[in-house]
Amino acid sequence: MALRRELAEPHTVGALGVVAPPLILVESPNFDGSLGQLFRCVRDGKVDLAAVSLLPICEAYFEYLMLGGAQSLDEAAAALAALAYLIERKAWGLLPSSEAEPVADDPAELPSPSTHEYRAAMEALRVWHEERSQLHFRAGAEPAETPLDLGGITPVELAAAFERVMRRCSPTPPEPARARRSLSDQMVQALGALQDGWKPLLKLLPDPFTREDAVYWFLALLELIRLGQAKVRLHAEELEFARAKR
Amino acid sequence: MNVVDAVEALLFAADGPLGIEAMAQAIGLTEGQTAQALEVLEARLDERGGLRVIRLAGGYQLCTKPEHAEAIARLLAPRERRLSKSLLEVLAIVAYRQPVTTADVEAVRGVQSDYALRALADRKLVRETGRKHTPGRPMLYGTTEQFLHEFGMNALDDLPRLDSLSPLSFALGSAESA
Repeated sequence: MALRRELAEPHTVGALGVVAPPLILVESPNFDGSLGQLFRCVRDGKVDLAAVSLLPICEAYFEYLMLGGAQSLDEAAAALAALAYLIERKAWGLLPSSEAEPVADDPAELPSPSTHEYRAAMEALRVWHEERSQLHFRAGAEPAETPLDLGGITPVELAAAFERVMRRCSPTPPEPARARRSLSDQMVQALGALQDGWKPLLKLLPDPFTREDAVYWFLALLELIRLGQAKVRLHAEELEFARAKR
Repeated sequence: MNVVDAVEALLFAADGPLGIEAMAQAIGLTEGQTAQALEVLEARLDERGGLRVIRLAGGYQLCTKPEHAEAIARLLAPRERRLSKSLLEVLAIVAYRQPVTTADVEAVRGVQSDYALRALADRKLVRETGRKHTPGRPMLYGTTEQFLHEFGMNALDDLPRLDSLSPLSFALGSAESA
């Protein structure tokens, strides 16, 4: 058996899912074609897997990974999934078979729970909830809103400032997720930006900024305030932040 | 000291359900005497006044009578706290099969349920009760006292018995979460 390896078209839609496995070619007395074709043929019962050695295919896949062909994780994962399926099928085929195939359980006979069985409970809960909404209790004491000293700024004002910033976010670019800096890195950056006195939140953020940037900056500022390293004030109906003198 | 008045005062002062034991300790009576005083108070309030005693979440609490609900709603304009069908569905599953993982709930519903569980946790109707001892140690969820309170129940035993819910599915649920 000889094996050749070529890269598949990137992001080809295939039978295994969104992305087809790379074009790992299989040449054997009983099958000649790609890994994807072998997968489909075995799945459809058109090829006797017992007559196809899987070791060279695994080696070819390993070579594909090692030689840097695996530029797309999706492709590599699709190939791995196909190989795992083939190995499992082959392993089952190699097991000694019993005389009589056991009759598979009929899924319809199994007591599978479903939301249908909870319908009565849902109705009861709905009615009770409505009845209960007719009763009123003495309001309890207001819980402490924030354990921070915000210097006269209310959490509502902070939330409003955050909401204003979020409304001005640029759309997040459609790029694959990348590793974010840590919040402590973000805090160091925020501290640096707070050196020059009071600044509104919008002036602190890079331009343009995404929702993710805004969330990170806001969290970093809150944490700095909590640690006593930053302070906040209301100036001209806008929240401003500065480094706290220690 | 009028014991019945004292019980009424305690219930008024407390901002949540009050157990008999706590009331008995506060007044300096036995639990039996406190329970009797509570019964008298219940009967007295049923006869007159705008309040009643309700048994909720393992304790007793004073609340307004339902006939005054409209007037109170006009005064306080309470926020609408209705639950959507999907939230109610997830809540019912958690209530009957707790402790459950997100995957358990999804297995029953057949759809992703993490958002619904988060929303219920935000409303303090469910809470994390621990982690399941299986690979990945998924979070287990159960209902809260707030759930009992919001649905007017004293204990989980008050949940209606579902005859259609097969005993086997209960057994499977508890075996999985053990």
